[in-house]
Amino acid sequence: MQAKKFWKTASPVILLTIVVAVCVSILTYVDSITRDKIAAQENAAVEEMLATMFPEMTDYKYENEIYTIYDGEEQVGYAFLAIGSGYGGDINILVGLEDATTIKEISIISQEETPGLGTRITEPDFTNQFIGLPIDDVALSRDGGQVDAITSSTISSSAVVDAVRETALEKVKQLTENQ
Amino acid sequence: MSELAAVFIGMVLINNFILTRFLGLCPFFGVSKQLNSAISMGVAVTFVMAVASLATWIIRTYILIPFDIEYMNIVIFILVIATLVQIIELFIKKTNAGLYFSFGIYLPLITTNCAVLGITLINVQESYSLTGSIVAALGGGLGFTLVLAMMSGIREKLEMADTPKAMKGLPIAFLTAALLGLAFLGFGGMI
Amino acid sequence: MGKFGKEFAKGLILSNPVFVLALGLCPTLAISTSIDNALGMTLAVLIVLIGSNIIIAAIRNFVPSITRIPIFIVIIATLVTVVNLIFHAYLPATYESLGIFLPLIVVNCIILGRAEAFASKNPIKDSIADALGITVGFMIALLIVSFIRQLLGTGNLTVFGVHFFTLPGLGEHPIVAFVLPYGAFLVIGIIMAIFRWKGVIKSE
Repeated sequence: MQAKKFWKTASPVILLTIVVAVCVSILTYVDSITRDKIAAQENAAVEEMLATMFPEMTDYKYENEIYTIYDGEEQVGYAFLAIGSGYGGDINILVGLEDATTIKEISIISQEETPGLGTRITEPDFTNQFIGLPIDDVALSRDGGQVDAITSSTISSSAVVDAVRETALEKVKQLTENQ
Repeated sequence: MSELAAVFIGMVLINNFILTRFLGLCPFFGVSKQLNSAISMGVAVTFVMAVASLATWIIRTYILIPFDIEYMNIVIFILVIATLVQIIELFIKKTNAGLYFSFGIYLPLITTNCAVLGITLINVQESYSLTGSIVAALGGGLGFTLVLAMMSGIREKLEMADTPKAMKGLPIAFLTAALLGLAFLGFGGMI
Repeated sequence: MGKFGKEFAKGLILSNPVFVLALGLCPTLAISTSIDNALGMTLAVLIVLIGSNIIIAAIRNFVPSITRIPIFIVIIATLVTVVNLIFHAYLPATYESLGIFLPLIVVNCIILGRAEAFASKNPIKDSIADALGITVGFMIALLIVSFIRQLLGTGNLTVFGVHFFTLPGLGEHPIVAFVLPYGAFLVIGIIMAIFRWKGVIKSE
């Protein structure tokens, strides 16, 4: 009689515990088989972008949030992430530096701008303007710089420009201080 | 401070939970026929969102990350939310039976409200701090309540309008939401 | 038409989760910007719904009423986490575009709703039929909406990188509104109205 009563009150808890235990084991297992693949993917994505930006790259190092790009033993440039406050959200930009004063290239990683308008910041017509641009010239034409904004998308354009310039100046300062 | 303000305004207007992120839609179309119940629902959801953000942030920072079991977050977050809603339900039942009655089935349904689980996931995604998470939750909840209130006001009027038969109820509600969404687009680029 | 077929057909039209029951609205509105997304989401929902329906139908006689909901939630959350991890590792593009809505399948009223209303009271075979029917209904709803939104909103019909055709005129100047949130509400509202107009369900 006592056993039956015990079973009645305990069974929901016991069943729940069993279900939870089984689920946790399944999750731990699935995590173990996917974990490496997921990590590899994230690295692969960045590597691919760096390789496109620096075709001569053979190796890179990541330290203090700056990528240093190597061709063999020679340092050929730097890269870092810049985040701009766009119209619809953050704009993630990969900025490549030739040296401490010149931008090599930029690549828009992700953005949430208005389709057809702000999203045109991803087009070569806009991003190509940054190729070989001195950091000091990274500003919109209307502000005395060398970058033409996209018509009707000044917010998206200036978000990119500001993020690139500010972060570039910051990283350059960081690099020269560490040398 | 200005960063928190930006997060808050962003959540309320620019990336409004209902009209931009599409979170919290089920109660949006189910409850919003009367202004009073809409506001009560909004406040309840905001409260759950804030407390859930607090609880999940603590669990994530002190348990999930140190033990490297972040992949458990979906299971744990939803269990936390379900428990939270149960506790709140019991509390309201004991202290304000009238309120409990007027909520009806929609109170336990807060557990499945995408806005609640949504905000906890967004907090993870954006790596908000503790204050950031709570501010984001309050903002998200406020935005949700705002749109819910607007919608109920409009629907009250719609009840008396001469709507074509096929449009009555949900269809016209959706179209109204479309127009509201269009209006909210204007908030983009505010910060 | 055996019981299997009957349950299946029910999920398609009469109990269409989106247009009739108005469940699972959040992902439908958010995901339906392209056919690729629609298919990705359907796959995820299919795995979770069939999995949860089978498991819950299998243990339905052992589950005491009190702990029923927490157990369902744990099972569904586990399935969703598994799908989340697998997609992240093996289908990264789909994982990225589904974003937050992949984990949100946990609170998708469709899944818990079917578990509670059907799988917990019916044998495994019927529960599988139910899951399939509902998923197909969901898929069709998603596909219709995505098709319209993608075509009018981007002018192109491109599925998994295979370009099918471009609408003349719209290719250059698509009606962008359709891929924005506002367009989502618009399309679904109109389709719901059509369902009511055709008498599929009673208007209010």
